[in-house]
Amino acid sequence: MSTVKKRKISERKMVPVYCNQCVAGPDLLRVEVEDGVATRIESNYASASSHPAGGRVCVKAYGLIQKTYNPHRVKQPMKRTNPKKGREHDPGFVPISWDEALDLIAEKLKGIRARGLLDESGYPRLAFTSGGGGTPIQYMGTWPAFMSAWGKLDQGYGSGQGLKCYHSEHLYGELWHRSFVAAPDTPLCNYVIDCGNNVEASGGVQGVWRHADARVRGLKRIQVEPHLSVSAALSAEWVPIKPKTDPAFFFAMINHILLETDWRQRCDIPFLSGLTNSPYLIAPNGFYLRDPETGKPLIWDLTDQRAKPFDAPIGEPALTGSYTASGIEQGADQDRWEHQNVPVSPALQKLIDHIRPYTPEWAEKECDVPAATIRRIADEFVDHAQVGATIEIEGKTLPYRPVAIILGKTVNNGWGGYEVCWARTVLVTLVGALEVPGGLIGTMVKLNRPATSRHLSAVPMADGFMFYPFNETTEAGWQRNPDIRNAYKTLVPLVGHSPWSPALGPAHLPWLFQKEQPKNFPRQTNPEVWICYRSNPSISSLAASEVAERISEFPFTVCFAYTLDETNYLADVLLPDATDIESLQLMRIGSTKTVEVYWKHEGYAIRQPVTDRKVVDCRDMTDISTELARRVGLLKEYNEAINRGAAGVKLHGEGFDYRIDPARENSVEAIWDASARAASHELSGGGEVHDLAWFKEHGFMVREMSQLDWYLYSTIKEKGMRFELPYQERILRHGTQLARRLHGAGIEWWDRQLAEYEPLPHYASYPEIWINYAREVGRDPAEFPFWALTARSMQYSWGANAGIPLINEVATNVAGHKGVIINRSSARSMGIAEGDPVIINSPVGETRGFAVLREGIRPDTVLMIGQFDHWATPVAKDLHLPSINSLTAIALSLTDGTGSSSDLARVRIRKGDGPKRAN
Amino acid sequence: MPQMQQTPSKLPRWGMVVDINRCVGCQTCTIACKHANDTQPGIQWRSVLDLEHGVFPNVQREFLVVGCQHCAEPSCVPVCPSGATKQRADGLVTMDYDICIGCGYCAVSCPYQARSIVHGKRWYFGQSTIQEETVQHEDRIGVAQKCTFCIERVDEALEVGADPATNTDYMPACAASCIAQAITFGDYNNPESKVSQLTRDNASFQMHKELGNDPQIRYLYELAATPGHATAAEDRSDEILSDAANPLVGKRQTFWDLRAAANFIFGGMGSSLAILASVFCLAGLIPEEALLKIHGSAGVIILTGLAIVGLEIGRKFRFLNVLRRPQSSWMTRETYCVAVFYPAILLDHLITIPGHHLLTGLAAFGFLYCQARILKAAKGIPAWRAPLIPWLIISTGMLEGAGLLLLGTASGLFDLAYTPAMAWIGVIAAASTGLLWKSYRKGAKEAGIPPLARRELEQISPLVSLAGHILPLVGFFLLTGFVGEGWLRDLTVTIAGMGAVLGGALWKFTLVTRASYHQGYDIPWLPQRGSGTRAAPARFGYSGTP
Repeated sequence: MSTVKKRKISERKMVPVYCNQCVAGPDLLRVEVEDGVATRIESNYASASSHPAGGRVCVKAYGLIQKTYNPHRVKQPMKRTNPKKGREHDPGFVPISWDEALDLIAEKLKGIRARGLLDESGYPRLAFTSGGGGTPIQYMGTWPAFMSAWGKLDQGYGSGQGLKCYHSEHLYGELWHRSFVAAPDTPLCNYVIDCGNNVEASGGVQGVWRHADARVRGLKRIQVEPHLSVSAALSAEWVPIKPKTDPAFFFAMINHILLETDWRQRCDIPFLSGLTNSPYLIAPNGFYLRDPETGKPLIWDLTDQRAKPFDAPIGEPALTGSYTASGIEQGADQDRWEHQNVPVSPALQKLIDHIRPYTPEWAEKECDVPAATIRRIADEFVDHAQVGATIEIEGKTLPYRPVAIILGKTVNNGWGGYEVCWARTVLVTLVGALEVPGGLIGTMVKLNRPATSRHLSAVPMADGFMFYPFNETTEAGWQRNPDIRNAYKTLVPLVGHSPWSPALGPAHLPWLFQKEQPKNFPRQTNPEVWICYRSNPSISSLAASEVAERISEFPFTVCFAYTLDETNYLADVLLPDATDIESLQLMRIGSTKTVEVYWKHEGYAIRQPVTDRKVVDCRDMTDISTELARRVGLLKEYNEAINRGAAGVKLHGEGFDYRIDPARENSVEAIWDASARAASHELSGGGEVHDLAWFKEHGFMVREMSQLDWYLYSTIKEKGMRFELPYQERILRHGTQLARRLHGAGIEWWDRQLAEYEPLPHYASYPEIWINYAREVGRDPAEFPFWALTARSMQYSWGANAGIPLINEVATNVAGHKGVIINRSSARSMGIAEGDPVIINSPVGETRGFAVLREGIRPDTVLMIGQFDHWATPVAKDLHLPSINSLTAIALSLTDGTGSSSDLARVRIRKGDGPKRAN
Repeated sequence: MPQMQQTPSKLPRWGMVVDINRCVGCQTCTIACKHANDTQPGIQWRSVLDLEHGVFPNVQREFLVVGCQHCAEPSCVPVCPSGATKQRADGLVTMDYDICIGCGYCAVSCPYQARSIVHGKRWYFGQSTIQEETVQHEDRIGVAQKCTFCIERVDEALEVGADPATNTDYMPACAASCIAQAITFGDYNNPESKVSQLTRDNASFQMHKELGNDPQIRYLYELAATPGHATAAEDRSDEILSDAANPLVGKRQTFWDLRAAANFIFGGMGSSLAILASVFCLAGLIPEEALLKIHGSAGVIILTGLAIVGLEIGRKFRFLNVLRRPQSSWMTRETYCVAVFYPAILLDHLITIPGHHLLTGLAAFGFLYCQARILKAAKGIPAWRAPLIPWLIISTGMLEGAGLLLLGTASGLFDLAYTPAMAWIGVIAAASTGLLWKSYRKGAKEAGIPPLARRELEQISPLVSLAGHILPLVGFFLLTGFVGEGWLRDLTVTIAGMGAVLGGALWKFTLVTRASYHQGYDIPWLPQRGSGTRAAPARFGYSGTP
């Protein structure tokens, strides 16, 4: 018999917590505790009936225990003794007491309040950065309440967002279909074209679970991507496209459908006519032709050959052709034209004319995909759409279009991001698969309000579309002097002004402007105090080492530190960070969220210290927030913010009031007890109110929600709205106005970005932008013949997992986690063998690693998974793994109109000296 | 033995189904297993391989869950000399860490690389943490370990009346944790179980089915809606299988190193010397008085090998457990031969009855034969389990024995008179060993010996053939009567004898420590997906371009 130590399942002590290390969370788990020591982790299977992935957590969650007992943790508050900052200067951290640390910080903060929150340039003197796609919020307790109490602060210093996110999709997705991230309705979908979205690596447990089910059911996925990613591996077909040419692939698909096939027989005509701007007439200057009386856009009615307002009864709206009509055209600012009997065409005709040059043969040359393949995929896509089919969900009949197209990072951010998002959404729109069962659907809103409901955020505006919170570009409304250093309101109308907007603005620009003052712009200043929480911009940003240099220039930096890392190495004060299983928080779970998170439940879950036995002298973030609020003199404002819901749960509402006393310091337990009661009250309508102890024992509480909430279609229809596709009149207007404002202010360095504001975007050869970048820094593009790309590591991504040996052990089972992936034939031609040390250079940077030879990658491309090149983080710095972030550049020429760049670089690769990789 | 409730009359047969179409290679099962079973750094009872087939752009990639297959005919069980590894009536292959001596024989006998041995404690950060100390299993140090199918959970489930196939609390951790539902655990004896249904309704394969272990993990590669296809011949080419970075390629075993090789080298030499001495004595070609010296020398040589291999076992103080499985383990039997051999030598010189030397000779032959069968039964190492290996070991033994006999005679060590019969034995043994070696190498590919192992054998082959076979053959032939007494004969004896002994040592050393690549993994059928010729055909009635 086996002598394995017996632990009766029934006798274990299991503590429920949640994991939200990635944006696809939270997922629920249980931590086993023996004699006050957290020993093992498993999924919280009690959530299996409500959680969309059977209650499972992914590989990362299992690293939490080792993370907690990591001997390299920062064990107590520390302060810097070496005034010189930089990678080459030992910070000389010495331990200090919590009191001393908090006093130090509070003194700085009080000094700011005494002198004013804004500095002489109008920028906030306090800046705060966190990473991980917003996931740190699920760990920072009541810190958001502190920030709310503080007032104006700069949250626009990027730690990698823009490149590491679905940037153009975030912005345009919210504009077009309230879709911060778009996903296939996988459980009902039959055909997915996936350009570089590694849902099996970045879609969380739910992405994996849903696609596995769909795959064995027969969903056919076409993965279009330069390397054979995990998702490509699991797809029915892999199309190894040239990097950054995805828009060309889509343009040619549209061309084939509209110009080479009988699209009227195959596309969703009622959808195009009634639910999009396809029939809107476009006047000579590119704006809608409008009714002179009402100002409403006009549609040509074929039944009586007349132009009518879009919302009038129309017999048969014209989608194609040219007509002679009269009306007004409202351009940018006060531009206004009155037209009498001018030739006008519907937006769809404009699209057909626009797309004519982009033939499959043209695309073949551009993106290295055979024209026949493009045509076949376009046809498969249209055929699988089953135009005309319906489905009944919860008693309601809806269109059923089981096709979708999804986009990955690097594809939909940086130059080409707008074009690819537009073309993708147009393709889906042509077959009526937008926001219907089986089709392409949104997940959540971050830029629109209210944040809790896509449907409530979809309110009609004058032209028949959804309202969108553009930042103003009118003469009166434009923000000439930015209120934070990334100037998102000034430069990017589309990013809006929600609490998420600063982080979604051009978040790498502050690092650039700090080095090179932009002309005719407020003097770039450094924040007097910069607080960094659960983020390591010195590793995770593009041009990471340059960002580290900029951080070194900051006068006073506070880092919440788990271990020493490349950012807190440059800090003045370190506060030991509590791990996920050492502090307390209640958070909202369920509903629909990013990537593929689609629940049929919603509710709340808890995270709690799993044992009283302390590993290091860390404190709960809520406790720290309260302490700082008190010391800075903001206790009342802070408590009131908590009561308003700044920490995730509004403490009073209809029929309940669990507000905490604003005048006093409330304990961590008291704050979350009030939150627990308010949350359960709100969730159950008062029928089932639970205190903190109940949540600590049970872990979570949910109620059912309707699957119909997944689809925006009904809301659009019921509110008489249309999807603003394919024509982008508002983009044209804002672009024109923004250009006038910027030029009026003497700002010309944003001109390239202004060219992006086209109503129907043209294709530019996007690869050339990166190829030619070498010239900008005085190098010859021919020196750098390879593309360097990155891909998500499910095992490492977010959550400081690079320093966890257990994660490293299992991650190395997955190809690419031991070095840089190079095509085997390309490597051979350079004399590089498996495991050889290699040096990779871009025009601006260098990284080193070991060669991993694979067949599943284009011969002109190399791939570096995850983000490494650590030089301070214990364990991670000994991994000798390469990083794309050491190769990319921060440059305006590489920044698109939405303010993002792409995670790619042109590189050369050569064999390095030294021994081969050990394993 | 607990029984499943729904099939009270029948014992369960626990097994798993792994759906290759579902697995995404995320390693959640790997890490969940590490938690559930507290395995040391670097030890993975369950892991998932990341594979590639084809050449750009016609390439596909898939993920393969591996670990102990809990074979119905487990090749690790009969070889185990201590009885620490057993098979339960419900099919689970178990380990008793308190009995295991850590010889590693089970590990080299497993064709699935499922077993490992860790000597000493290991810590993830180089230093211990309180958590690792809390979950430390001292009993696993220095002994064989492997996946248990979370046996204690399964047993507890049956105790409390739960079904470990459906209840995630009691399911093996890998199956419960899988985020793609790729791993299904259940009872193959129950026709209603999900594992039975899945394998009844879909095509599946067992890995290395041809080896006859009847593994209880079945792999699905094709479902009604998702086509599969056979692995292309070029994916199994020598070139592909020579790539050590290819996870399918078996790693070189590390359980038996130079120390184990020494036992085969010295054991073969000593035992064959003793055999030949007994036979020659019986035939009257050697006087009885000389036997003590020769047998004594043989005994010293064998003991040297045994002492060295003794250093290799993980739990040295348990070495007597090696005697516990004579019914099936050639390692146990080898030890029993030792136990007879040494007393027999003594006995030889205490009593004199007709044919009394025979017992020593028989024990020595038994020992040599056991050594030959030990390698043959190590099913996990194709170079060892090849059909000609026992013959090669025995034939080489005879060659070495002849060489030693002649060397001992010529040097005067044995106080023997030279006789041509000694040389004739050498001639025959050299010829047969040479032929067997050639035939072993020629048939190596067919016998399933992987290319990396073959490369090792080929590298030493010229030297082994020349010094170990041709020189002894010529030398021994000359010694049958073509060279007279004197320096020339001494030289010939030295060259031929040393050639015989060193040639044998070289190839045995190579076989045990260099050519000893594991079987590796195999995936004969793949889901149809990838690019170019490997991409899946259209699905859902795609009608083509109108």
